Amino acid sequence: MNKEKWEGTLIEYIDGKLDADTRSKVEQELAANEEIRRTYEQLREVISAMDGSKSLDPGANLKNTFNKFLEAEVARQKPLRTISFVPTLYRLAAGVALVMAGIGIGNWINKNQQREDEMLALKKEVQATKQMMLVMMDNQQSASQRIQGVNVALKIEKADDDVVRALVKVMNDDPSSNVRLAALDALSKFRDEPLVRKELIRSLALQKDPVVQIALIQLMVRMKEKGAAKSLEEIINDTESMKAVKDEAYSGLLKLS
Amino acid sequence: MEAVKNGDLQQASVLFDRYQLRIYNFLARTTMDRALAEDLTQNVFLRIIKYRNSYREGNRFQSWIYQVARNVFSDHYQANKNRKSDFISVEKMSDTMSDREEENEQEERERVLHRSLAMLNDEQRELLVLTRFQHLKYEEVADMMETTVANIKVKVHRAIAKLREHYFELERN
Repeated sequence: MNKEKWEGTLIEYIDGKLDADTRSKVEQELAANEEIRRTYEQLREVISAMDGSKSLDPGANLKNTFNKFLEAEVARQKPLRTISFVPTLYRLAAGVALVMAGIGIGNWINKNQQREDEMLALKKEVQATKQMMLVMMDNQQSASQRIQGVNVALKIEKADDDVVRALVKVMNDDPSSNVRLAALDALSKFRDEPLVRKELIRSLALQKDPVVQIALIQLMVRMKEKGAAKSLEEIINDTESMKAVKDEAYSGLLKLS
Repeated sequence: MEAVKNGDLQQASVLFDRYQLRIYNFLARTTMDRALAEDLTQNVFLRIIKYRNSYREGNRFQSWIYQVARNVFSDHYQANKNRKSDFISVEKMSDTMSDREEENEQEERERVLHRSLAMLNDEQRELLVLTRFQHLKYEEVADMMETTVANIKVKVHRAIAKLREHYFELERN
């Protein structure tokens, strides 16, 4: 037996897990071999040290903190679980129902007045949003502010003339092509408005930015806007137009004709 | 535990009373730091309540809670990445482990024992804590560590042999 095997056997011997046969072999060896006996004694000492080791006590804090957490958790869980069938809860529910009914009647009396107030508040809010959007679009210092303004326009349901004019101005004149593209995107959302269609066609003749030009041509095709044909021909014939723009215009012209 | 899982959270208090000492001792001896062990024990029970739905009915609760404790321990050290296998400073340990009372022979023996435990690698220390201090069966530990009983037995024997070396080395000094 090698050293490791002996250690294993001796540990099992100390733990009382060996059969009688092996046990007597170990005992013979212990009597004859001093090295093995020393290993045995040392192993027995560490094992008994582990067995006799005192249990460590946690402070009372542990239990206190746990109880607090448990209380919080129980409280959190309660509303989900127990709309319980306790009479006091019924009474409470009846009380709540009564108050709600009172509020309901009060509301009904005030309903008309309140609706008007709500409409007015809504109108004010829309107006404020529009103002904010226009101011943002006009911010000459920051292109990202202008894009944000344009993005607000994307969220509104119906654009009035002020908004359309502001967007058209941005689409045609903004120094940043990203902002121009965003404005085009916002306008395409309102493309069913006659004013918007007119401005988009007009812009096709004005745009010099190839990226915006291509996006506009594609939009015209999606809108099936035959009125754009003349501007497309101009782009094709313009010696200053980029080849990619000319190709797009040519393909757009074919699709529209 | 099944009552807790089914929403009777007050039963968690019973589980806490039954297992807090074992889990605290397991963590105190594995981390060799009693204050840390209190925090981690707290985390074990919080996790058990929070993740009560992940307890599979029919499983032994004891194995499950030890598994959670092992995860809490390993998460703690992964979060504090500065960990090395010799992360326990033996000098500091005497402060964190002993009660600083007057030491008699038994206490001296205990001190040497803990110092030699600290010199083992993490796996060996954990195995000894589970099987020798917490008296878990080899079968249960094998299940927890997803290995065979024979493998656990060999590893425990090696850990005891290693502990013996450190123990008598320290005692000589």
